[in-house]
Amino acid sequence: MAKDPHQDAGPTGIAKTALKLTVNGQPIATKVSPSVSLLDFLRDDLKLKGAKECCSVGECGACTVMIDGQSVNACLVLAAESDGTNVETVESLSAGGQLSTVQHSFLKCGAVQCGFCIPGMVMSAEALHRAVPDATEAEVREALSGNLCRCGGYNRMFDAMRDAAGDVPHCETTAPVTGKSVGADISRLGGIERVAGTQEFLADIDLDGMAHLKLVSIDVGRARINRIETEKAMAVPGVIDVITAADLPHPMPHFGPTYRDRPVMAVDETRYHGEPVAAVVAETKEIAAYAAGLVGVDYDALPAVCTVKQALASDAHPVQDPALRPGDPMAETNILKERHFGWGDIDAVTPDLVIENTYTFPMVTHFAIEPHGFIVDATDDAMTIWSPVQHPFLLQKIMAQLFDLPLSAVRVLAPDPGGGFGGKQIPKFEPLVAFASRRTGRPCRLVLTLEETFQAVRRAAAEVTVRSGFSKEGDILFHDINSNYLIGAYADVAERVTTKGNYLGCGPYRVPNARIAARAILSNTTPSCAFRGFGTPQVNWAVEGQINAAARQLGIDGFEIRMRNVADKGDEIVQGDVPADGHWLQSVQKAADLLGWDTPKQPGRGRGIAVGIKAGATTGLSNSTVRLLADGSILVFAGTSDMGQGARTIFAQLAADALGAPYDRVKVIMGDTSIVPFDLQTSASRSTVFMGTAITRACEDIHAQVIQLASDTLGLPEDTIQVDDGNIILPSGSEPIFDFVQKKLGAWNGELIGNGRMRKPTDKDHPLGGSPAFFEFNCTAFEVEVDQATGEVLIHNHVTVGDVGKALNPLQVEMQDEGAAIMGLGHSLYEQVLLDDDGRIRNLGAIDYRIVTTKDMPEKMMTGMIENADGPGPKGSKGVSEGAILCTAPALAAAVADATGVVIKDLPLTPERVWWALQEQGAVAAQ
Amino acid sequence: MAEACAAWATPGRDARLLFGGTDLTVGLRHGHLTTDVVIDLKRVADLAADIGPSKGMLRVSAGTTMSALAAYLDREGLFAALRDAANVVGSIQIRNRATLAGNICNASPAADTVPVLVALGSAVEISGPHGSREVAVEEFILGNRQIDLRRGEIVSAVLIPLARQNCGCAFDRITRRRGVDLATANLCCLIDERSEVVFAFGSVAPRPLVVRSIDPVLTDPSATAHDREKTVAALCAIAAPISDVRASAGYRTAMLGVMAERALASARRRQQVGGTHG
Repeated sequence: MAKDPHQDAGPTGIAKTALKLTVNGQPIATKVSPSVSLLDFLRDDLKLKGAKECCSVGECGACTVMIDGQSVNACLVLAAESDGTNVETVESLSAGGQLSTVQHSFLKCGAVQCGFCIPGMVMSAEALHRAVPDATEAEVREALSGNLCRCGGYNRMFDAMRDAAGDVPHCETTAPVTGKSVGADISRLGGIERVAGTQEFLADIDLDGMAHLKLVSIDVGRARINRIETEKAMAVPGVIDVITAADLPHPMPHFGPTYRDRPVMAVDETRYHGEPVAAVVAETKEIAAYAAGLVGVDYDALPAVCTVKQALASDAHPVQDPALRPGDPMAETNILKERHFGWGDIDAVTPDLVIENTYTFPMVTHFAIEPHGFIVDATDDAMTIWSPVQHPFLLQKIMAQLFDLPLSAVRVLAPDPGGGFGGKQIPKFEPLVAFASRRTGRPCRLVLTLEETFQAVRRAAAEVTVRSGFSKEGDILFHDINSNYLIGAYADVAERVTTKGNYLGCGPYRVPNARIAARAILSNTTPSCAFRGFGTPQVNWAVEGQINAAARQLGIDGFEIRMRNVADKGDEIVQGDVPADGHWLQSVQKAADLLGWDTPKQPGRGRGIAVGIKAGATTGLSNSTVRLLADGSILVFAGTSDMGQGARTIFAQLAADALGAPYDRVKVIMGDTSIVPFDLQTSASRSTVFMGTAITRACEDIHAQVIQLASDTLGLPEDTIQVDDGNIILPSGSEPIFDFVQKKLGAWNGELIGNGRMRKPTDKDHPLGGSPAFFEFNCTAFEVEVDQATGEVLIHNHVTVGDVGKALNPLQVEMQDEGAAIMGLGHSLYEQVLLDDDGRIRNLGAIDYRIVTTKDMPEKMMTGMIENADGPGPKGSKGVSEGAILCTAPALAAAVADATGVVIKDLPLTPERVWWALQEQGAVAAQ
Repeated sequence: MAEACAAWATPGRDARLLFGGTDLTVGLRHGHLTTDVVIDLKRVADLAADIGPSKGMLRVSAGTTMSALAAYLDREGLFAALRDAANVVGSIQIRNRATLAGNICNASPAADTVPVLVALGSAVEISGPHGSREVAVEEFILGNRQIDLRRGEIVSAVLIPLARQNCGCAFDRITRRRGVDLATANLCCLIDERSEVVFAFGSVAPRPLVVRSIDPVLTDPSATAHDREKTVAALCAIAAPISDVRASAGYRTAMLGVMAERALASARRRQQVGGTHG
């Protein structure tokens, strides 16, 4: 029986206290539970959803509001403390319908990507702008350093603050435009909502009668569950249900994208730290959280395998039940899959130089500022799922299979993710929430804490040993690569990550002989999944390290050895597969030029350069429907998720130009599987190429109909009418389709509907299921200085250049590139998930897992791009969102080595690690 | 004030004092702390934000935030080391809430202002049911999250001696990144008018660790770097830091030496510039 959630006493029996305050100019008198934070009070009681929740410990700043004119973290303030104060939230900044100066500048300068951090960021920026209207960049970096942006929009925010201060920004967007929008720095669709704080993210959705879930987990890496005590939790007023494995179907349903190995809830044994063993469903999230603490779990800790060595030990326990892998000869081991690639004969060459090294890459986590969240409203014969998922149609398929429903009965609504980065691709807790909804007859919501997201998604750690041969002139003769990727307790998409990354393990080079062995190894850790760059950054850290080592040993410059070996357009990279699809040497040259590679170096400085390629999508289908309405305005339907990469904007640009319409007359509809046609997924930087092509073809479908329309209404033969570049060309002259249809479509009393699709079929004989549709090539270069006494690395200049084919929106390309580069700095310098011997994550949450802040930004960061219109996407475009993360670490390590002489083969290059390496070098030198 | 003391003294229940709350709310959320009652001191008039000289001391009331403190010190040209330390406590949002008194009472070994306060010979002013008392910060912090505060007592102010002239003082810290971070290790170096050098170390022991030296090699410009480094290293040797998720003991130990050298140099520069309290 549901209890009244608005009762005076909370679950702990503490009475509510009176609260009087002013919020955005409105006086408010109410009662509040003394344990409720100001953030929850604003969001849940006042329905002011602008301030966001991420870390809940005052580190991320997503909840920044002002109290009596001073910026504070609303998560660290109890609502009761704000009694008598004047609170301002982001909603107040544009209350009059006009954006504030700072909001306007953020929008204008392209500081907005996914937008989840933006309301908090804007509040910090506003506080600075009020106090110091002409703030210097140093002041801006300081003022915004308490706000984390994982999309990596910092450079643009610095620019925005210059703009707000009245200086000329480096780059600004155009909006709205008439005429051609492709190729222009068009302002982001959805940008206004994001700076204003009105963009609705998953956690902002309220449904009538919605109940709240809280997961119960145990604090150890692996355990045998003996008994779960739910009575105390059930007795808490407001608790609706406590679900354990015993309450779910027998046998426990399992799911997964390829391997159906993940149970909806752990049965008898937990396999990683944080794997839930029960879920509490309650009227409010506070009650659910409180009651979850009362669920008693009797368990015995079991030994956990958490490293490659432990997982491969002959006496290691299998992480997964071998019965889950029938017919697999390695089912008794922790090797989920072992792949072998190669060409030539590495034993047949006689190199002048052979180098062998082992490189390690740490576990890192996505840290999207929006924690994962799920809402499901399920009945026995249908369900609606809200999830900020990158692959709505995959979620639909998996849920339909799991619950034995027709696809038509499973509707996925995918609000724009507040950052995805690969972490929001594959279903995680949607099935559990669906069971909860079925049991309770209520829509159920689960929003994870940041700590729980650390336990839900991560990148595979890797140990990669490479033996490489070179001629004395610096030619690469062979690579012998042995990659061990430490994936988690369930496969998710991690086996594909390992395979795809290592298939291109030799990088963007002409390598005559190669042998590659890659293993995906299960362990008692967070299931690893896709993460920007997929499996490339790990192996590329090793292989680029080898190139840098060879350069040093042969006395060849890091730039020269790459100009000597990097494949240029048409050169074979993987023998027998598609060749290099761009003039990659141009990118290498441009990166060197932007950095000033040939200029004299100041004493103490070091420079480094590296390259990387990632395979674009290999298969898949994207559909689009475009509707040209009677007044010339356009609806574009696309199954892509806009998670900050700006897909919606690109799609609108393409449709606007194809139909001769102003950009602001296009609306893009996404994120509803019952409305938009099928799209395989939003990943692998595929959307511009795949969905962009589908949209372009849908517009071409409309072009044919426009010709029919003209023929019909003007009485002209069809062969006298043409469509080109958004215009209709008639014998009497040409005009934009947009103008033409306004005059003529009314007579038809309707609209024109175009369909288009791009499909790349599966090639069963190809190790990846198909050749990459394009490559993402990047060259990154650094100039650094190292504090030899502390090991701290100071980055003076960070340059990245991508081979993008054609920048449909150059500013967005730069934003994606910078975002990837900044994320790369994270795993290069700070980020690592640390485990104890029992498999517990020691640095759960924002306090001890460090990502890049504004103050960690390089003194200078520059993005260049090479445009030869040689990609398969619209106007010759390629995917661009991952290139700059592929080779950050090896370029940075090369610069550190150049500055100090120390060569580090383990990431991240924390001050401590660099310092120890310097000590070791000193000790060697002293001998 | 009396009401707050009485509420806090009520026997038979757990209670926690809250001012800025930037540590307390995190502790409560993570379950490191549990309590029946939280007593919000922000409305206690006697504790309201107030900074100013009083009886030869700079008196910083318990309600003074880090932001207000840093701005005051900057404006008045006072205690540059304390200003520097206050300016690296969390982000601006944190510093707009967190108080100096709270930073002491939270008694985290990594607290940034504590080494400076200790080096400067600061005390806390405590009010309680049985009157008030003053305790040196160095003595007040008993260990990790342990302070010499009895039930019913409230720290009403922090007192920093103003009388000393011709001192130089500097704060330094090591962090994992340049942006907002907790100190891996931190310290303060004070050179007083008699050329006594005081080092106060943070994050390397459960409570503030202080060493004093009158060895002239530390302040003599003609002393060799080698001799000075040797003396500094010997002074740092009293620290026995632990390894944890932020750093190894070995790195912490080495960084104390590096920071001590740097802070000493900077304290000497500030002493030469003259003025009050470097």
